[in-house]
Amino acid sequence: MKLLTHNLLSSHVRGVGPRGFPLRLQATEVRISPVEFNPDFVARMIPKVEWAALLEAADTVPKEPIQGYEHDERFLRKMHHVLLEVDVLEGTLQCPESGRLFPISRGIPNMLLSDEETET
Amino acid sequence: MDHAAAQLEKQHVHDVYENTAPYFSDLQSKAWPRVRQFLQDQKPGSLIADIGCGTGKYLKVNSQVHTLGCDYCAPLVEIARSRGCEVMVCDNLNLPFRDQGFDAIISIGVIHHFSTKQRRIRAIKEMARVLVPGGQLMIYVWAMEQKNRHFEKQDVLVPWNKALCSQPLSESSQPGRKKQCGHPERSHPYQPPCSACRCPVCFKGRRDSRRSHSVDRDSALAGTCCANISKEGEEENGFYNTLGKSFRSWFSSRSLDESTLRKQIEKMRPLKNTESWANSTISTQPSRHSSFDLDHPEPFSTGEQNLDEEVFVETSQKHLEWLRAPATHKHLNGDHPRGVRRNGDGNFLGSTNTRENCTDAGNLEEGTPSASKIWRRISAAESKDSNPGDTISVEEQQPDILDSGAFMRYYHVFREGELCGLLKDSVSELHILSSGNDHGNWCIIAEKKESCD
Repeated sequence: MKLLTHNLLSSHVRGVGPRGFPLRLQATEVRISPVEFNPDFVARMIPKVEWAALLEAADTVPKEPIQGYEHDERFLRKMHHVLLEVDVLEGTLQCPESGRLFPISRGIPNMLLSDEETET
Repeated sequence: MDHAAAQLEKQHVHDVYENTAPYFSDLQSKAWPRVRQFLQDQKPGSLIADIGCGTGKYLKVNSQVHTLGCDYCAPLVEIARSRGCEVMVCDNLNLPFRDQGFDAIISIGVIHHFSTKQRRIRAIKEMARVLVPGGQLMIYVWAMEQKNRHFEKQDVLVPWNKALCSQPLSESSQPGRKKQCGHPERSHPYQPPCSACRCPVCFKGRRDSRRSHSVDRDSALAGTCCANISKEGEEENGFYNTLGKSFRSWFSSRSLDESTLRKQIEKMRPLKNTESWANSTISTQPSRHSSFDLDHPEPFSTGEQNLDEEVFVETSQKHLEWLRAPATHKHLNGDHPRGVRRNGDGNFLGSTNTRENCTDAGNLEEGTPSASKIWRRISAAESKDSNPGDTISVEEQQPDILDSGAFMRYYHVFREGELCGLLKDSVSELHILSSGNDHGNWCIIAEKKESCD
């Protein structure tokens, strides 16, 4: 699971709503998978990222996107690495409100809930 | 109602995909062209979700966007992951995403697996929720109206038989090439060559031959066309559907939508004698008087699986010829089309066929029965109803076809206008941009409206 994916995930446990974001990430196994650097691509991703959530997940991230980030290759490379190359293979995602844990195994998060837990 | 729906979907969608997933690892199915186009039209840097991604065939279509694949079926997701895709396991009805995270979403051959209208609406609403305003959603669902196939009901079960895949899919290794399918280990007269490896052709031939010869043919057939089926462009649905077609392919399922239930109950009341029961049995098509009626030439294809119009047209004449070949019905007598019965399990098949025509109308009136109750009731009804003179148990006749490894997948096939209607009536946050039919699928592209705050 990439950190960009983590940035989109939110708990859908019943009653939790927007307080279910972001999920707390505990990674027990991480792999760095090289991905071809595409500065335009990364630059376009930056505005879509929920920055606070990204900060929580990866403490190596600057506090906020810097001015003129679109042309700052160093910054973009760093973000590229964080968003796309860090791959959580094993770990958990925790709902910050309910505490419910979602597993990540073999790089795949499993977000299925039981009927009792979901809102229907 | 929702519990019954979830049960039905578990049995006839999720469990089937889980059990058949291993057969997909070798599949090289191509993406639908219009879906590809939609993905390629998205702006570079877009965040895209493929909800119901299966083995991930759409996830790498556009390298300029970031596509996240999601599916309920973990084994399929594992396959996609092994191909290097970013994927996760989740439920379309409860998408674990924050609001407005995605620039575009595709839902290809997914919504038709939900067994009630409410659930279908919910699935669409969930996708709308996680779309940015101005973002687009593409939905493909199987159409009830098919050019070469006749669904008589909207809620159907389509069989999949792994016996047909006994030499699977490692044979399906030539994507993009049209080759003759049906290279039989044994040859027999009714196995026509086909110039396309899209299967209606292959399947027709195979089916014919099976009918005219002993059931043991099966092994000869297995792996020949099967391998070719999904080569050119079907998604997994096409694969399944094609296999299903091999034995005339769909069975009526109960509809769990309340309005349909009520109608069914009303319809059932007058049915007291077996004959009228048999006549109104839906099950196999097209004609009522013969389960596997080859007098009605209909090149077989389901929407999903049939793809390239040009290719199909070329071969359709041939289809007709083969179909007219005097395949005999030695093993398939019985004037009453019936579903197939399964031994042992007590699940599905024969049951589902007859369910709607169960003379047990009384039982049907008790509110909304759970899925398991439905099955049991049916078995009882069927034994009550069987005509002694009737050799129905197709299973006896074709043991290889529907062994205990058979799976049935549930579909709610959509009528023309139904998908649009659903959005207009129940998902006001989406605005329809375009809609149409793509090879037997109703498709829609809709846009999330800008918020009115």
